[in-house]
Amino acid sequence: MGMIMEPERRKTDLIDFLRTIQRPDSPLQEIDGDLSLVESGLIDSLALLQIITYLEQTYDIDFREKGIDPGELRSVNAILEFVAREITA
Amino acid sequence: MFIDLAPGRLVEPLSGRAWNSREIVARVIARMQRLQSEGLGHGDRVFVLYGNKLEFFVDVLAAWHSGASLVPIDSRLTSFEIENLARAVEPRLLLVDSSAGAAALSGLTVLGVRVLDTTAWDIAGDSHPTAGRIRSHARLDNEALMLFTSGSTGVPKGVVHTHRSLRARWIALKDALGLAAFRRTLCLLPTHFGHGLICNSLFPWLAGQDLFIAPPFSTECLMRLGWLIDEHKITFLSSVPSMWGLALKASKPPAARSLRRVHCGSAPLSSLLWRQIQEWAGTKEVFNAYGITETGSWVAGTSVGDFVPEDGLIGVPWGSVIRTLKSADPHAPFDPDTQCRAAETGYIWINTPALMQGYYRQPELTAQVISGGWFYTGDIGVVDDRGWLYLKGREREEINKGGTKIYPADIDAVVEQFELTKEVCAFAVADPLYGQNIAMAVVLKDENSATIRALHDWMKRRLAEFKMPVRWYALDSLPRNSRGKISRKEVEDRCMARSPLDLRSILRTE
Repeated sequence: MGMIMEPERRKTDLIDFLRTIQRPDSPLQEIDGDLSLVESGLIDSLALLQIITYLEQTYDIDFREKGIDPGELRSVNAILEFVAREITA
Repeated sequence: MFIDLAPGRLVEPLSGRAWNSREIVARVIARMQRLQSEGLGHGDRVFVLYGNKLEFFVDVLAAWHSGASLVPIDSRLTSFEIENLARAVEPRLLLVDSSAGAAALSGLTVLGVRVLDTTAWDIAGDSHPTAGRIRSHARLDNEALMLFTSGSTGVPKGVVHTHRSLRARWIALKDALGLAAFRRTLCLLPTHFGHGLICNSLFPWLAGQDLFIAPPFSTECLMRLGWLIDEHKITFLSSVPSMWGLALKASKPPAARSLRRVHCGSAPLSSLLWRQIQEWAGTKEVFNAYGITETGSWVAGTSVGDFVPEDGLIGVPWGSVIRTLKSADPHAPFDPDTQCRAAETGYIWINTPALMQGYYRQPELTAQVISGGWFYTGDIGVVDDRGWLYLKGREREEINKGGTKIYPADIDAVVEQFELTKEVCAFAVADPLYGQNIAMAVVLKDENSATIRALHDWMKRRLAEFKMPVRWYALDSLPRNSRGKISRKEVEDRCMARSPLDLRSILRTE
């Protein structure tokens, strides 16, 4: 399903997902798309694992094959750019 | 070896900084001069609010050779918690670097603690000292190290080790494991707790092996772990199970086959994860290491030749004697009647020359766990007819959040002081990332969103972020046992039948 998803829909779905793993006192609507998810305190650092699992399941990306640069999960925009590259590769 | 100053190289793989043995000794001498000029001397204690960097390890040796005891402090603690620890221990100095908020530490000055920012020390020429020899004031039975295992918000529980107990641990490990596999050791664990400091770092480094020191639990390192191992030809690393979720998922395995040994400890290691680590690391030499701060950490592990990973399997003692007894009572006699038979479940007791001196200024608490040189671990297990130890459970009241031990009483102590709290009880809940996480049941005098927000704010100012409960339950009363005592297990059972508060909604409407 990820292959046909429009960019706006990808962003909405990602933010909906991040809401389920964010720290309780970090309101997502105030987070800029370029703000670091971990450094801003929005999510716990190990929650990157949950983001990876989400991307695997949503877009069929196999991270174990290729590894991942931590910077590619740094922010909402970075994740969306990564996904865009992966699904057009 | 050890503190006769033949340490190996120190390397920060992320920053690229590295000091060889000669450079380390030069800096130790310079920092000793600085510390002693600030009044540090025999019997003093020095808090260090940073870790996992080159300077920290130099400060360990500088403090020890000055005759002082080192107290590594978790930099994630709030100023409230640090002041509480300082009030109890009365350190002479607190060493900070540029990452510490100076304003937040102003309360320490009132307590008479001298706060020193060491950021500029190395830049100021500490690498080029004029004097070339160390005059050590360290003595074998001096207090060397204090590690806090709980009580950051109440009565601190400081585990005190002497130079003798630390050396006993390192000599035991060298005898049991040798040094060859530790030639290039990577530490990804925090240096303010026993596993990361005493065993992962100081044991190999002070025995002349090279130590590669990374920021603790760094996601960047975990996601590049395979590359890091290959790039620096790492031969050994230790770990906690929660680290591997991210590493196995996001990092390509190492390809150069330099790894000779991997340890995993501080939390239960499932047989499934164990096999996955073996496969990823490209070696069967992945050992479940059993360690306790009070015994200088690692006391046993799977160094038993061919073994198949099993849930709870630890293995054989490393420089210690391990017994399972039918009683956890320190006054019970150690006779054949009290010892469990092979494969019979009992309380785990350990006898080791690496045993702590005791809990700082808490002789009664010390007497509850030490009897005739034997230490009661608080763990439950079995020893089979081969002498292999298996862990079966834990009696201690602690929440094991990804290898970091959090004591529910520390959370209770903060919440109890909130003016609208009637009762509170923190407890462990299962967590997919950390194994366990923190939940809290609270009875409030006036339960509404404003009160909950005020309590959240109260806690955030007094508790480190990682100790904040992730699930809150508001109850009318807490269940008590027949003696009127709150039972954490019964509180947990009652809460599991209810929904937690929707904290996100409550805090968002602020």
